[in-house]
Amino acid sequence: MNRLFASAVLVFFSGLAFHLAVPAFPQGMISGGATAVPRAAPSGRPFPVSFVDVAAEAGLRMKFTYGNETRKKYVIEANGSGAAFLDYDNDGLPDIFLVNGSRLEGFPKAAAPTNYLYRNEGKGRFRDVTRDAGLDRAGWGNGVCAADVDNDGNLDLYVTYWGSNVLYRNNGNGTFSDVTARAGVGGPGSEWSTGCTFLDYDRDGHVDLLVTRYIDFTPGKTPMPGQFPFCTWKGSPVYCGPRGLPFGGATLYHNRGDGTFEDVSIHSGIRKAKDFYAFTAVAADLDGDGWTDIYIACDSTPSLYFRNNRDGTFREIGTEAGVAYSEHGGEQAGMAVSVSDFDNDGRLDILKTNFTGDYPNLYRSFRKGFFNDVSVKAGLGVNPSYIVWGTGLVDLDNDGWKDILQVTGHVYPEVQSIDRTEPYKTPRLVYRNLGNGRFEDVSAMAGPGVAQAYSSRGAAFGDFDNDGDIDVVVMNMHEAPSLLRNDLKGANHWFKVKLQGTKSNRAAIGATVVLRAGKLSQTEPVLSQSSFLSHNDLRLHFGLGDAARVDGITVRWPSGDVEEFPGAPADGLALLVEGTGKTEMVPLRR
Amino acid sequence: MIPLTLALAFALVQRPDPAALNEAAMKAAAEKREEEAEKLWKQAAEGAPGFFPVLFNLGFFYFSHSRYDQAEPWLARAARARPDDFNSRYLLGTTLVNLDRLEAGLVEWRAALKAQPGNYKLMQIMAVNFSKGRYFKEAAEIARRALALRSDDPNAYFVAITSCQEAGEADAAMEIAHRAVEKFPDSARANFEYGYHLQKLGRSEAAMPYLKKAMAADPSYEEPFYFYGECLMNEDRYEEAVGYLRTSVRNRPDYVMASVTLARALMELERYDEAVRELERVLRLSPKHPQPHLLLSQVYFRMGDEDRAQREKELSQRLRREEPGIMEAPQGRPFRPPPAP
Repeated sequence: MNRLFASAVLVFFSGLAFHLAVPAFPQGMISGGATAVPRAAPSGRPFPVSFVDVAAEAGLRMKFTYGNETRKKYVIEANGSGAAFLDYDNDGLPDIFLVNGSRLEGFPKAAAPTNYLYRNEGKGRFRDVTRDAGLDRAGWGNGVCAADVDNDGNLDLYVTYWGSNVLYRNNGNGTFSDVTARAGVGGPGSEWSTGCTFLDYDRDGHVDLLVTRYIDFTPGKTPMPGQFPFCTWKGSPVYCGPRGLPFGGATLYHNRGDGTFEDVSIHSGIRKAKDFYAFTAVAADLDGDGWTDIYIACDSTPSLYFRNNRDGTFREIGTEAGVAYSEHGGEQAGMAVSVSDFDNDGRLDILKTNFTGDYPNLYRSFRKGFFNDVSVKAGLGVNPSYIVWGTGLVDLDNDGWKDILQVTGHVYPEVQSIDRTEPYKTPRLVYRNLGNGRFEDVSAMAGPGVAQAYSSRGAAFGDFDNDGDIDVVVMNMHEAPSLLRNDLKGANHWFKVKLQGTKSNRAAIGATVVLRAGKLSQTEPVLSQSSFLSHNDLRLHFGLGDAARVDGITVRWPSGDVEEFPGAPADGLALLVEGTGKTEMVPLRR
Repeated sequence: MIPLTLALAFALVQRPDPAALNEAAMKAAAEKREEEAEKLWKQAAEGAPGFFPVLFNLGFFYFSHSRYDQAEPWLARAARARPDDFNSRYLLGTTLVNLDRLEAGLVEWRAALKAQPGNYKLMQIMAVNFSKGRYFKEAAEIARRALALRSDDPNAYFVAITSCQEAGEADAAMEIAHRAVEKFPDSARANFEYGYHLQKLGRSEAAMPYLKKAMAADPSYEEPFYFYGECLMNEDRYEEAVGYLRTSVRNRPDYVMASVTLARALMELERYDEAVRELERVLRLSPKHPQPHLLLSQVYFRMGDEDRAQREKELSQRLRREEPGIMEAPQGRPFRPPPAP
């Protein structure tokens, strides 16, 4: 007799499985499980922006190395690095600096990949000047930020590494010198640093430096894929972390003004914040009180907002101010940050990107230092299936409202073997600002450069061809970079502003500019780092719509001074020197 | 003890076949002589390691006593002995899920469904649990199959709507919600689902009549009140939102998301004292939930009490670390399971 005792098996169908608990152990990379919010009806307005990838013809041929191409054993191999638009030779043409990584097994000395500096030669062409500039350093690079550290009129560079970080002094003759040891900003040499930003937190006219660390990473001590629950994703073994791995941290260096820095992390209160995995750092006057604050995007832990207490110290108020979590209080895998004023209400807002299964955050400042996450309400909940990295809150169509461009890409090269619906390479995203607090996804209308799929990371924003619209340089994992040229059509006007501090730091890092033209008043900060571990063109770009001139400009300098500058005709670059009150138009080279 | 001794002696002397031992064990189990039954099944399994009824029955015996770690190896052996057997696959899947091995459980349920492709109830269970495993697309596919089988059952619609929504198939979710409200026009849930999806489409104006109908059909149903309140919040009508959100939390006092949203509405109105009272109220019911503490941190901060704000923040962070699973869905909509059939 083969009778079964379990004649009552079907009893268990009575809803038993509806009440099972969610697995107790989180996977390593936080993923919210959010699904796409349905799109609102299209506005029907044409989008005059078309991005074309011109990297190859421009001469950007560097191959990006960052760990193993096909399978990542450790999280160090997955995150990628940043890019920069900076005019290192002051010729009026933005040059490009790209941060390169390495691989765990290393390289023969002569074959080791280095960072790259491409000089903008004009007419859309770039030349590799890495070796001539003295920047041909091999290592596992991550982030980049720039400022005029010694106020000599030349932009200096800071690059973060897994290993010692490097401060490069710009010699003003096309070369850089490694001044890390003298400056004392290299760190202990074993840490995995990611974000960095220069800022003048004490208003002494010298830029200080904040450096973030992702995790305390040692390959031999880090578990292998699948070894623990935090080494799985959707049930499959993947590299571990960040959850379950030792936390990173942040270090604040004060610039003594003599070429040296001192670590003030403890005295300043920065070190009080604990237990976070930090990526991009942004410094700007977020609460409009005239003092530079700090915001750090954190992965799988609450993001951090250090409010400047105006006495050399900071207080971390991310949760209190409403910029640490999602709208509904969830922890998120924060990657990149952009700070601008998307609704033209005069207050700086924060855009942060996150992991797949989540929405970005659009933290709208509604009062001094208070924020609400309006991402879904603003129409940014439509693409949660992408991991979003570099991001820019920039005016792409020059209509006077800040749009959004984001680059995406998965972290696991083998992801499609885990879930066939999730590719490693994914397209870019473009959202048009409708001017009513809402954005619409116009990626499909934004040209072939946006439609192309890569596993992208860093992205820097600037106008490399000086034709009056914002272009983008993008780091693509294990491939050459993209240089997305904006071929904007239409009659909208624009205006660029370059600041020069005298009492303030020379590059005016931390300044906020309010530009009035036509019916709009736009607010924009000068940032040393934003997007994903990247550095944007320091010239601020404003779209003016149909306004043929700028009516006036207010600059809130990092020194605390507020200065008015007269208006000027549209479609040009103005140099505003602190204390002069003059708007000096500067010719644009092409 | 006498029957146990006799049975064991009989078994040793006679070396009966596994079917006989199985019969004896079943009889013992039915008569609540469970220790004896367990020993007989194990003895039978020793003699015939691949004999399916014994493997399955012993696995089920442990399963029915919620001894999942003991049930798992026997059910696994049963499934190996008879790979196409529905019951062993289903029970093994459920066992694994109860052991927090969701992925492995889903594999077994897939095999069970292959054995009985038309099993509607299993489809519903799988649709829900596949979503938990983040196999959203598969969950939606199964839920649609279940709906095709039983288009007269409102629960089939509701599971399919949720599954499609979680799979990012918003259009499909919307279409099924529309069909549900047309087929069951007086159903509070059907009206709510359609209204909810219209709201998420940004069509608050179209959504609100359906949410209102759902509220009228079932004034004790908390979700329509919550989402109607959210519609009003999206239109910056905070004063009106407060009333609906208050009803939602009255209907379900431990509905943390509604309570937190009510607090947010009160914060927008700068009625900070009321926000504090609401958050403290829900904390008395859900003291381990980090969200009210998080909001309290923000309220105190706006009230200028930064030290208290700091304390609430730290408490919120500690609770979050202690119970990572406590947070509700990112979209603020706790899953509402269909009633048991």
